[in-house]
Amino acid sequence: MTAAARVVDAAKVYGSGETEVRALDGVSVDFPAAGFTAIMGPSGSGKSTLMHCAAGLDTLTSGSARIGDVELSGLTDKQLTVLRRERIGFVFQSFNLVPTLTVRENITLPRDLSGRPADPEWIDALVDVVGLRDRLHHRPSELSGGQQQRVAVARALAGRPDVVFADEPTGNLDSRSGAEVLGLLGRAVHEMGRTAVMVTHDPVAAAHADEVLFLADGRLVDRMPEPTAERVLDRMKAFDGRAPGARRTPQEVGP
Amino acid sequence: MTGTRAAFRLSLSALRAHKRRFAGTFLAVLLGVSFLAGTMVMGDTLRANFDTLFVDANTGTDAVVRSADVIDAGQGGGVREPVRASLAGRLGKVPGVAAAVPSVQGAGQLIGSDGKPVGGQGPPTLAGNWITDARLNPYHLVEGSAPTSEHEAVINRGAAKKGGLKVGDTAVVRTPDPLRVRIVGIATFGGADGMGQVTFTALTLPTAQKYLTTGPDRASAIQVRAASGVSQREVADRIAPLLPKGSEVLTGQRATQENQDEVSGRFLGVFTTLLLVFAGIALLVATFSIHNTFAIVVAQRTRENALLRALGASRRQVVGSTLAEAVAVGLVSSLAGLLGGVGVALGLKALFPALGFGMPTGGMVITTAAMAVPLAVGVTVSVGSALVPAVRAGRTAPLAALRETAVDRSGASWKRAAAGAVLGAAGIALAVVGASGSPQVPVTATGAVLVVIAFVVLGPVASTAAVRVLGAPLPRLRGVTGALAGRNALRGPKRTAATATALMVGVAVVTLFTVFGASLKATMDRTVDRSFAGDVAITTPAFGAGGSGLSPRLAPAVGELPQVRESVGLGKGVAKVDGGGRELTVTDPRRLANVIDLGSVRGSLDGLGTGGVAVSRGEAGKHGWHLGSTARLVFADGQRQPFTVRAVYERGDLSGDYLITRRAWAPHRVQDRDTLVAVAFKDGVSLGAGRAAVEKTAAGYGHPDVQDRAEYAKSAARGVDLMLSTVYALLALAVLIALLGIANTATLAVHERTRELGLLRAVGQTRSQLRAMVRWESVLVAAFGTVGGLGLGAFLGWALVRAADSAGTSAFAIPVPRLGVVLLVGVVAGALAGLRPAGRAAKLDVLKAIGVE
Repeated sequence: MTAAARVVDAAKVYGSGETEVRALDGVSVDFPAAGFTAIMGPSGSGKSTLMHCAAGLDTLTSGSARIGDVELSGLTDKQLTVLRRERIGFVFQSFNLVPTLTVRENITLPRDLSGRPADPEWIDALVDVVGLRDRLHHRPSELSGGQQQRVAVARALAGRPDVVFADEPTGNLDSRSGAEVLGLLGRAVHEMGRTAVMVTHDPVAAAHADEVLFLADGRLVDRMPEPTAERVLDRMKAFDGRAPGARRTPQEVGP
Repeated sequence: MTGTRAAFRLSLSALRAHKRRFAGTFLAVLLGVSFLAGTMVMGDTLRANFDTLFVDANTGTDAVVRSADVIDAGQGGGVREPVRASLAGRLGKVPGVAAAVPSVQGAGQLIGSDGKPVGGQGPPTLAGNWITDARLNPYHLVEGSAPTSEHEAVINRGAAKKGGLKVGDTAVVRTPDPLRVRIVGIATFGGADGMGQVTFTALTLPTAQKYLTTGPDRASAIQVRAASGVSQREVADRIAPLLPKGSEVLTGQRATQENQDEVSGRFLGVFTTLLLVFAGIALLVATFSIHNTFAIVVAQRTRENALLRALGASRRQVVGSTLAEAVAVGLVSSLAGLLGGVGVALGLKALFPALGFGMPTGGMVITTAAMAVPLAVGVTVSVGSALVPAVRAGRTAPLAALRETAVDRSGASWKRAAAGAVLGAAGIALAVVGASGSPQVPVTATGAVLVVIAFVVLGPVASTAAVRVLGAPLPRLRGVTGALAGRNALRGPKRTAATATALMVGVAVVTLFTVFGASLKATMDRTVDRSFAGDVAITTPAFGAGGSGLSPRLAPAVGELPQVRESVGLGKGVAKVDGGGRELTVTDPRRLANVIDLGSVRGSLDGLGTGGVAVSRGEAGKHGWHLGSTARLVFADGQRQPFTVRAVYERGDLSGDYLITRRAWAPHRVQDRDTLVAVAFKDGVSLGAGRAAVEKTAAGYGHPDVQDRAEYAKSAARGVDLMLSTVYALLALAVLIALLGIANTATLAVHERTRELGLLRAVGQTRSQLRAMVRWESVLVAAFGTVGGLGLGAFLGWALVRAADSAGTSAFAIPVPRLGVVLLVGVVAGALAGLRPAGRAAKLDVLKAIGVE
């Protein structure tokens, strides 16, 4: 299996001397094409930093990050921007949509920014997948939180990106809306052949992925193929012994 | 008490935390206050310097004798009848009088070494006699010697510099008969280069009398110096009984005071009033900007204020803390503005001589009023602008702390739309009523004010539609970046309108003056086109009180030319009619009709003789005259003489309202001069040939300008361009303040949209696209303000032109190319205003921006 994105010996250091913090400390990982990878770990484990660096939103202190065969270090801001626009899709925890644009305009935004119009059939198909056909001309403020995240997923897929990076996409949603969004990401990977990388601290969310990576203290400490919520929760509890990890209690997480 | 202190501490910490947000407010107040303080300081300084100058120059004069009656027909000071020069001899023998000398003064314009007239663009160009008593003469030789023969002259240093003349040079003085003189001396006035910008050519007494008066025994005044130990009052009292009827004596102090008042009233008064008006406009514009800033800041701080309220702060404390911020900003920026004002005054004082405006020198005068008034105005403007936002801050519900960051997105209410529509309709109706039919300026002015208010009130209603229309081409031009810019400008209609209103006011005033100026020019064009029936006009272009006019011998000399069919000179006289000063046109009325179209004439222009007058229809109507009525004219020599109205003519725009013959004027004349010679060629004579012949003849009379019809119309309107340039320069500040307002709003908007900008960058908006988006938004706001201002200004210009046109002769013109430039400047300036906020927005760190709560 080829990698849609990969980091090799990735290190990210903030500050220096006494106050030095190693957010990433020699992480090497491949995100396989047409795979759905979840990244988990306690707060401060470096999972968000890993995703930001892999996605070209942040730069590594040392090591290498690639999207496909493009090495990210050494790219100018403009080249990174274009790369994000052309080859990456993003879903953030909240504030994913531009309030002045309609649902449809938000979905096609990256395409419109590139100046090359989106493929209308593909957009049409996406709209049906996320089930927002009757909301196309609404503004984000007229949608529920779950609907907004579904629009964000559609936007992330609109340009047929190499990888979709999702940063806590369900963090602000109730469990039903969250399940819908995760279902969409799963379909994108398994039915449309996209690649997805998701940072989460919700074991239920992580269970939607093909594989879960566990980070602690800036290092890759474990991998779990074909995860289930229970196994992920158990693995996370091991971290809780050392440091306060996931914010949610098991009761909240349960199915 | 502690509560107040807490509120104050809060506002200070808020100011410290948000320095950048108030940068625009600070600058707006600073600039406005600088302008105001600079104007006041400069006005006081110039006034004091002129006062000192006159005191210095007139220090040796203890009494002045002159004719008591004065007629002021509006231009260039009053006209007085001369006194007898021989009176000086008699006064000199009065005990207590050390010296009494005649002083002759008239119009006399020097021609510089480059062949061009020196001065004449406002201040008087004078000639007179060199007073031989050094202590009575306000001028003092600094080089050369006094004139001793008819062809010698002393000129003031300012005129020498301007005309490139030095001792030993030969020059021509238009008196208006050309007099060729050798410059034998250079003089100063009270230690300065001259009396302000006034040029002075001093001749011997007999020469001055020959060229500047109408007889050998005439003088403008007699200057008297008292013997030592005799007071000014005493010497004046001793002279008084000896004076002929119609003359008066005043002390030297009183004469100096009159000089000072004249300069203050005529020149400085107009000058400072003009500057103050424009400082007021700048501050008005600043008010809009400041109000907008506070409104936005208060909206952005809703959560913070709500938290304070939830924690127990009273409504008053929240209002107080916002107002305290306004006071602090107003105070600090006004104080800085005072410093700036003194700097402006110093700079202008240094700049004036460099531009060729010699002003008297002397120290800066900084009065308490010149500091206190701008400071008070600056603080008042700040606090006044913040009042409504502060009250709104006080109304913040404690619950608002729990909501998402509240931003004022409220649009226009129907109440606002209705109120604006009613105001606007009433204003337009009043303006139109006042401007049509029989024009009434006050009615139109009231209407104009209402229309301006309506524009401000309707701003938020109009902004949505206007931005939609103006922004319509943007998506096609700039794709989604342009579309986003347009949508952003639509987000807060109130905010967009308030930002644009400041610019709108500035642009409206610019447009008003532009339209008014163009209409004046068009009126001149039409007047010449309609009323000037000749082929060329001979004039000495001058402005205000300057210039010397034309020799009365020129018209007959030109009339002798074989190419010329008719050549008529028009001179100016003054008389009082029903108590008011009026200009009379002294000419040959019978022949005048051959070169100037007077329209339909009732009665006859032939044989007015010494007892007849022709009057324009408008003036006849005002006084209730008909053919055969008697018009009572009182001349400067005190003579009242009844004239019979023998003709009433339709158009007086070029010829003036009263025509009398030269013979009728002769007994009352002071200095013979024509202001215009209208020339018509014989049939078959080409313009070029005729003009060349006239120019050759005119060269012998001091080189006046010979102009064809188009040039004549243009030169008549030359003052308009000068006025417009001045107004544009003065309005530049108001427009700058408005643009600062746009920049400030853009900065605040960038601040509150940080997360959105971060998102856009994350999903692929490049830095340059982001910059373009912010810039285009401010271009849209600027375009809205500019277009609104153009419309408002054009309407007000139309109303003003129509309302001021009692005779129904004015033309109305909209100078499209010039207004196109205004539009372009507005839009480009909008892009410039967006430059810095766009740069700051583009520098945002994507991750931090997304993470911002």
